[in-house]
Amino acid sequence: MLAGALAVLVAPLLLDTYSVNVLTRSLLLAVAAVTVDLLWGYTGILSFAQAAFLAIGAYALALVSSNLGFSAATGLFALLLGLGAAGLAALLVGWLAFSYGASPLYVSTITLVFPIVFVQLIFAGGNFTGSSSGLSGFDVPELDTESWFRVAGLLLVAVTALTVTLVRSDFGRLLVAMRENDVRCQFLGIPTARLKVLLFVACALVCAGAGWVYAAATAVVAPELGNFVSGTELVIYTALGGRATIAGPILGAVSIDAVSNYLNGALPFLWALIVGLVFVVVIVALPGGLLSLLRLGRVRQPRFVPRLVEAPAATPRRDGTVLRVEALDKRFGSLQVLNSVAFTAHAGDLLSLIGPNGAGKTTLMRCIADGRERSAGLVEIGGQSIRRMPPHRCTALGVGRKFQTAAVFETMTVAECLRVARSRVERPSLFRRTPTIALPEAALEVVQATGLADRLGVETRQLSHGEKQSLELAMVLALEPTLLLLDEPTAGLTKQERQRIGALLADLAQRHRLCIVLVEHDLDFVRSISSRVIVLHQGAVVLDGAVEEAVQSETVRTIYAGAAHV
Amino acid sequence: MSLLLDIVTTAAILYVVALGLLIVFGVMGIISFAHGAMLTVGGYAALLVTWAGWNPWVSLPAAAVAGLLAGAAMERTVLRPLYRRPLDAILATWGLGIVIGQVITLAFGRQVQFAQSPLSGAAVILGATYSQYRLLLVGVAVLLAGAIALVLHGTRLGLVTRAVIANENLAQSLGVNSARVRFASFSLGSALASLAGALVVPLSSVDPNMGVPWLVGAFMLVLLSGSSLVSMAAAAVVLGAAQVLVSTYLNAVLGGMTIAVLAAVILRVRPTGFARA
Repeated sequence: MLAGALAVLVAPLLLDTYSVNVLTRSLLLAVAAVTVDLLWGYTGILSFAQAAFLAIGAYALALVSSNLGFSAATGLFALLLGLGAAGLAALLVGWLAFSYGASPLYVSTITLVFPIVFVQLIFAGGNFTGSSSGLSGFDVPELDTESWFRVAGLLLVAVTALTVTLVRSDFGRLLVAMRENDVRCQFLGIPTARLKVLLFVACALVCAGAGWVYAAATAVVAPELGNFVSGTELVIYTALGGRATIAGPILGAVSIDAVSNYLNGALPFLWALIVGLVFVVVIVALPGGLLSLLRLGRVRQPRFVPRLVEAPAATPRRDGTVLRVEALDKRFGSLQVLNSVAFTAHAGDLLSLIGPNGAGKTTLMRCIADGRERSAGLVEIGGQSIRRMPPHRCTALGVGRKFQTAAVFETMTVAECLRVARSRVERPSLFRRTPTIALPEAALEVVQATGLADRLGVETRQLSHGEKQSLELAMVLALEPTLLLLDEPTAGLTKQERQRIGALLADLAQRHRLCIVLVEHDLDFVRSISSRVIVLHQGAVVLDGAVEEAVQSETVRTIYAGAAHV
Repeated sequence: MSLLLDIVTTAAILYVVALGLLIVFGVMGIISFAHGAMLTVGGYAALLVTWAGWNPWVSLPAAAVAGLLAGAAMERTVLRPLYRRPLDAILATWGLGIVIGQVITLAFGRQVQFAQSPLSGAAVILGATYSQYRLLLVGVAVLLAGAIALVLHGTRLGLVTRAVIANENLAQSLGVNSARVRFASFSLGSALASLAGALVVPLSSVDPNMGVPWLVGAFMLVLLSGSSLVSMAAAAVVLGAAQVLVSTYLNAVLGGMTIAVLAAVILRVRPTGFARA
């Protein structure tokens, strides 16, 4: 970073004025490209709107300066105006884009609409905004070209330093987790939509700041600065340089934008053709960007591995009713999947939901863990109704849900997954990697009993199926839930692994007084561990009682054997 | 009356322009950013026909063939390796769009040019005088939609295509060569895009970026309609009407962003848009 700062201070002495001018612009575009990388490379939000946010900052200065002239006061006013406008716009775009269940394609579409709206508004502004020809010749601070280069360069260095710190911090891991599996994050109690909106607003503010410098340095603004083609150019710089590298987008922006300025004169149109071709080739053949060529020969450094410690014991669990379900209905159109289901479960219960395929078992789990799923009825966790709460708020009430297919974050290490799972309890640091991970006793036991404690630095995609299941269980236990929902925790496991999980669950219920509800097909397994069984058939509770009751029930036998045997 | 005709013809034009994109989206699950460039290819095909002094009607098949060939080449070389990386495929189509745009610029120059219209003059409908060509486009939209529906529901290729749209993995395991279906639909989608380019040229002019303004409208229409020809007709009428009404009663600049904003809001409230859930 110091070297970077030194370089931008010295560089103007070695370059001619034309180059300094060209590079000033490129450095500011690189700032916007870094935000594209943070959003897209790390968090998985492909945004075409960053150029428009930069343009908002630039237009704010141009408009204020054209109408009021430039002074320290108006300059500051323009900066605040630009930041405010960009922040509000980002808030609106983010609110639209990051709704529940929005696909990545929809998010990108919204960020594509925003620059279109921006350009149309500039056109609609007529003489005030300069319409299609833009604004020029407004008063700007009296600084020479070299100084503007240094301002732009230092801004880039500062933004880069901040971004690098952020992506290396605990919070940075959380961003990657949202990219890998947003739904899993929501069920870990992380308000992903809100975090994404905040990140989007922060990135918009950075772009608007760069835009202010852009207008001040060039004294020209035009609608093309913020249209969606400019937005896609930033994405091209990022993809060419290498996403999720920070350095890649900077190199991409500075080299392509600067070279464009030199070559467009000599080889009109041909340069753009070459960039287009190289872009296509890189996307197809080199998804890691040009920077990944440099890394081919490099040995991967061992990942940072934190130490596990035991978290201070939470308040002792009270015995009593943990889960109460009443008159729960779920309909898909005219199809009634759950029909006035009602039951309660207490601390220390190990309740198995059984029933043939299509009985509504998984749907019932979903309705308990997400307030927006059910069509009618009541769900109470620890005496509190879940109303229409999204998953992350249900998690805060004490629900821990493990999915049917193990959902862990594939590119992250075991330790990083556990760290992300603790985000709800321990606010992740924005600027450093915490050297220890504090886990509650139950989670720690799972990690140690399954050998994951010795594999903390291993990427989860290298784990076996059983290890992934155990890791996800540990992640859910790290939430310190009172109600544990497990969807077929033994599916695809070996007999040994199955026995170990069984013993573990029994221990969690008895010693840790957890209330466990599991969906299971393996009736022997159910028989060996459950304290109670609920039989679902065609969306209704057929039987709710002790295991032996279910085993001897004529009704249950009929359901499983089919009606022919009646 | 002419307002009503404006709405109907605008919807028809939107429909024709988005049709190729709909097929690509339905089968491959990606939005092709090269769609705009393919419209441009069609525009220049029409321009070449005008220069050659041929009958302007020839521009339609010429454009379709040019689009078919270009689409086939793009699918084979660039998109096939990206089946498993849909977001990258979308970016690659943007790159392809740039390449096509620059090749056209190098060959024909940047200036705005005009191609001959196959049909000019006005017709009188229920007392209103109206451009014959715009009315013709309504018929073209209906014809094209009918033809595609016929192919989808009446041929073996159509059956296989519908299977891939519904569940690609299952179709593959049943022995459907989904790579061939993707190839056929991208080629067909590109051909339709170029045909649409040739069809809209008489309404405006030809230049290397002529496709870009259409791209966003088509994009929105497709997102709103899932992969159904019928729901896209509904979406085209609603968005077309909104655009015409805003442009007429408020102002033309706001009209330019009506489609994008309205579509974004509809998708926020109802993510499936006009498709039946």
